[in-house]
Amino acid sequence: MKGLTHFISAIATASFFPQVVRMSATPGAQIDGAQSSFILALAGLYGIMPDTLDFKFGRFFETAEIDVYPDPRNPDAQAIADTLGSAMDRAIIENREIRIQFHTVQLSADHWRQYQIAFDAERQEVAVVIGPVVTTSQVAFAGTEPDNRVGIYRLKHARLKPGGARSTTVDIMSGPMYGFRPGQDHVLVDFLPWHRTWSHSYVVGAALALPLWPLALWMNWPSAWLYPLIAFLGFSTHVTEDLTGHMGGSLFWPFFRERTRGLCWFHAANPDSNFVTDYIAVTLILFNLDRFVTKLIPLSAPVFFLLFLIGPLLLYFLPRLVSTKPAPKARRQDSVQGVIEAHRRQAAQEELLDESESIVG
Amino acid sequence: MTEYLTILTFCLAGTLSGAIISLIPSLHIYNTAGIALILWTHIEGVIPYTAVAPFFLSLVVAYAFLNTIPMTLIGAPDESASVTILPGIKYLTLGRGFEATLAGGIGSLIGILFLSVAMPLIYVAMPFIHKILAPHMHAILMAVIVYMLMSEWPKGEGLGRTTWERFRQAWRNVFAGLVTFGLAGILGLIVTSRTLVSPDAGFQNIMPVFIGLFAIPGAIEKLLSRETIPPQHISSSVELTRGDIGWSTLQGVIAGGMAAYLPAVTAGIGGILAGHAVARRGDRLFIVSGGIAKVLYYVGAFLLLYCVTPLTPMGIGRGGLSIILKPVLQPLPRELPMMIGAILLSGCISFLLLIPSTRLTIRLLSRVHYHVLYWATLPLLVVLVVFITGWAGLALMLIASCIGMIPVFFHSRRSNCMAVLLVPIALNMAGYGDTILRLLGLD
Ligand SMILES: [Zn+2]
Repeated sequence: MKGLTHFISAIATASFFPQVVRMSATPGAQIDGAQSSFILALAGLYGIMPDTLDFKFGRFFETAEIDVYPDPRNPDAQAIADTLGSAMDRAIIENREIRIQFHTVQLSADHWRQYQIAFDAERQEVAVVIGPVVTTSQVAFAGTEPDNRVGIYRLKHARLKPGGARSTTVDIMSGPMYGFRPGQDHVLVDFLPWHRTWSHSYVVGAALALPLWPLALWMNWPSAWLYPLIAFLGFSTHVTEDLTGHMGGSLFWPFFRERTRGLCWFHAANPDSNFVTDYIAVTLILFNLDRFVTKLIPLSAPVFFLLFLIGPLLLYFLPRLVSTKPAPKARRQDSVQGVIEAHRRQAAQEELLDESESIVG
Repeated sequence: MTEYLTILTFCLAGTLSGAIISLIPSLHIYNTAGIALILWTHIEGVIPYTAVAPFFLSLVVAYAFLNTIPMTLIGAPDESASVTILPGIKYLTLGRGFEATLAGGIGSLIGILFLSVAMPLIYVAMPFIHKILAPHMHAILMAVIVYMLMSEWPKGEGLGRTTWERFRQAWRNVFAGLVTFGLAGILGLIVTSRTLVSPDAGFQNIMPVFIGLFAIPGAIEKLLSRETIPPQHISSSVELTRGDIGWSTLQGVIAGGMAAYLPAVTAGIGGILAGHAVARRGDRLFIVSGGIAKVLYYVGAFLLLYCVTPLTPMGIGRGGLSIILKPVLQPLPRELPMMIGAILLSGCISFLLLIPSTRLTIRLLSRVHYHVLYWATLPLLVVLVVFITGWAGLALMLIASCIGMIPVFFHSRRSNCMAVLLVPIALNMAGYGDTILRLLGLD
């Protein structure tokens, strides 16, 4: 899930505590326990914190053994594929973890060279496809792909597990890191090995929330115990929400360091799951704020949620329910496979041609 | 009958005034409200009571439509500039500035239509939302502050051999953002506490600060830029799909709605939040939704004053214009249809004005270098500040300019400057403003 989604849902979680909602109100409107507390914002702060720890701090302390900087003027797909594939092989031969960092190819302030990294367990191959030039909004300039744009490396020692590695597109901002570890009879592939490890652990969340207790006591804030609890719940909301994606998290780091796999319900950047979660969270916050303090909504809970949650969400999906056009997301994935397939067919033909020439010649 | 004619006349006059104000580049809507205030002190008594609201409404409608022109066409590009270039400027470098301006105008037109159609729903729902959120407004603003600060990620990947080198390189813009936010926040606390007027009513104090934070650095940035504007293509159509319009409307309405309702949250901040919520990318989406958000922010905020219900007997006062006109206006819900009529009329005229004005500006820019326009703007801004706020205001403007220059040099978010209002309003609403000032030794 995205940062805003974690942020708002953490606040929504906190809003289920009547005492939290009341202490958040400004005094004056005859509200019991009102004290202008910023505790709801605290929930949001802890809700966004796991990713902040990763992307603002953690990643700078993780270095990769191999850095891949494709040549901006003449990117060499085969060389990149070789580097990637041999790193996987080496992880098996040398029986240790090897990390490889792919870097973005920035051409100017707003132009980037896109490239894709694909893993094929069926053929035991890794492939790199150089893509078009794209803008920072990831809009591609058609026809800017180079001629020789596919590189394929056949794995020699490492064996890929079906579904064991995810293909990625590298274009703007920063590129991904992969970690390869020898597994029982496969090579284990970690995508962004520094992401969602220690930072996405309930234990770390508790450890980061606990210092708020003495702080709140020292500041003389009423109900001091609520601050660490709400912070912990905000943090936990994030860790739990991330389980719906592909990556999961190291839920009980440092006791269990292994990163669990997610439920794979949605891709983390899926606009629909993010927007729907945001919208549900906002409706819940509004409902809870009213339920515990103002008590103004003249509707019963089912009617309220039918009118303001189900209705608008139906409206959100309606245009796509009536339209028959396929989702554009699927097509992009197809196109990578398509390019690799076309390349294979061409290579096979050339091979055939070479052979026939040699026979004739 | 004569009453209608009077209203119609002042609608047209307002539209024209707004069009003229919008030609001054780099102005912020708060500055426009300031100019409206000066206008008001001169024409108070000249305008008949029934035409006051339509006049100023038309003024902000025209401003919302036509300031797309300087925003798109004179915001010159710079190759060395930040990683994310605003889509409008990108279109300009591709020679498609005309199309971008028109797309923004179409967005504003959608905004006007949305307000006209949704006003009954807004009228029923907003009083409830307002009453429910009001006791927590300080917490909501603090949440916006926290999110703004937490969501500015390091740009690029941080090249360098050691951890520290990579960290420092990637954190430059994040750190610059934090410094900008902190300094602007402190400046805001000082400015609002010194004058004993409520933070968003002190236009005389806020105006030089806003010109300093936004207009002056914007002008200097463009004067430092060595880029030239390529020849612009006057296209006869704007490419917009149904999807573009749908997603833009969703994003623009969320952005503009938040900016209109939440104090100190601008269309820029609303745009960042709404962009993250809708999570769809695209330059056209950005441009069109920006046009929608501006209308809701400038115009919708004022219409909230007409939400006079048993829950909100005084209406919901939001935005600069409301604060200026509230003392003289007694809004009645039955005047709403007339206000909708006024914005529809002014919106249509503004859109029609937009097309030839854009053409004219493009022709002008092919003859006159945009630097000349900015050299003309700077003294104008200084004169405006001195004229309204005196030499103290000028000093304030200079201090604010120094803070406003930080994002220009470090390519961090300019909206961090909005801490100048966000911080004092959030803290004062919660009742902590004085405590913080004392802690800083500033009281
Ligand atoms: Zn996460």
